[in-house]
Amino acid sequence: MLESFAAWLGGTPLTAFLENQSWAVPTVQIFHILAITVVVGAATIVNLRIVGVIERGQSIAALTARFAAPSIVALAVLAATGFLLIAAEPTRAIFRYLFWAKMALLLAAVGLTAGLLAGLKEGGGAFSDPAARVAAPYRLVAVLILLLWAAIIVAGRWIGYAEGWPGSPQ
Amino acid sequence: MSVHDAIAWLQATPLSTGIRESDWVFPSIECVHVIAFAVALGAIFVVDLRLVGLASRRRRAEDLTGQLLPLTWGAFVVATIAGLLLFTGKPETYTSNAFFLSKLVLLALAGLNMAAFHLFVQKPLASVPDGGREPATARISGFLSLALWTGVVVCGRWIGFTTLR
Repeated sequence: MLESFAAWLGGTPLTAFLENQSWAVPTVQIFHILAITVVVGAATIVNLRIVGVIERGQSIAALTARFAAPSIVALAVLAATGFLLIAAEPTRAIFRYLFWAKMALLLAAVGLTAGLLAGLKEGGGAFSDPAARVAAPYRLVAVLILLLWAAIIVAGRWIGYAEGWPGSPQ
Repeated sequence: MSVHDAIAWLQATPLSTGIRESDWVFPSIECVHVIAFAVALGAIFVVDLRLVGLASRRRRAEDLTGQLLPLTWGAFVVATIAGLLLFTGKPETYTSNAFFLSKLVLLALAGLNMAAFHLFVQKPLASVPDGGREPATARISGFLSLALWTGVVVCGRWIGFTTLR
């Protein structure tokens, strides 16, 4: 199924365009990286507030209100530019285990973030009180989310160096 | 000892050879570089957008800057150390690369902009009353920072496409 998807994508004018314009892939990667700085910057600030290291005078509700929209826009840019990078070389990334590991880590980071914020909201005071300290289990999840983002970057960088799995198209 | 000799000397050190010849060291340092600069730039952009007046407008600019400064500097120091190690691996390649040299110039300009902010903008900014309008210099400083750091990312990514693996 992946093979036929790659063959179809590779036959589209999109792949032809990205292959023929030498500036296209670096440009797409620049937007990918700028969007990473937005998502990772926002995740770092919000999760370090939950841990209680920075922004202790700000409620988590106020922080998430500020960072939700830019994060969602940046995630959409990451998905779009990520798809373009796959389209530029359809037989590469999706045939590497690391790419799918990265997608799983991404799902875990986004899912845990949604769960953590929902949990804090249920807790009432911890969410909207600027001076609130967050219970240890929540703080642990916040640290885990930050480690997941680091792992996502590591996986993303190594995709560029990894070999395809056995039997993948060359 | 000329700059040329210094680069040749660096390229011949065991550290440089080790980084260059290993399959995993260079990509691993790249990972640290990307994680650190993502955190540093993310925090810098938050402050810049506040200075320009596009985001976090209900926060005092002075307070926001103070909260994010330690995180920004910590991440920046890690990104710089990782960057220096990447440079150490292939100094002869990088010093003859136009994008690398442009990146250094932009980094220096971003540093000057930051110094100018601390010297000339921070004090007037601290005396702005709550909800008051920030001085124009603050907006100029934020805009320059956004432009310069974006330029650093652009040049940085292009280095990888113009130097041989």
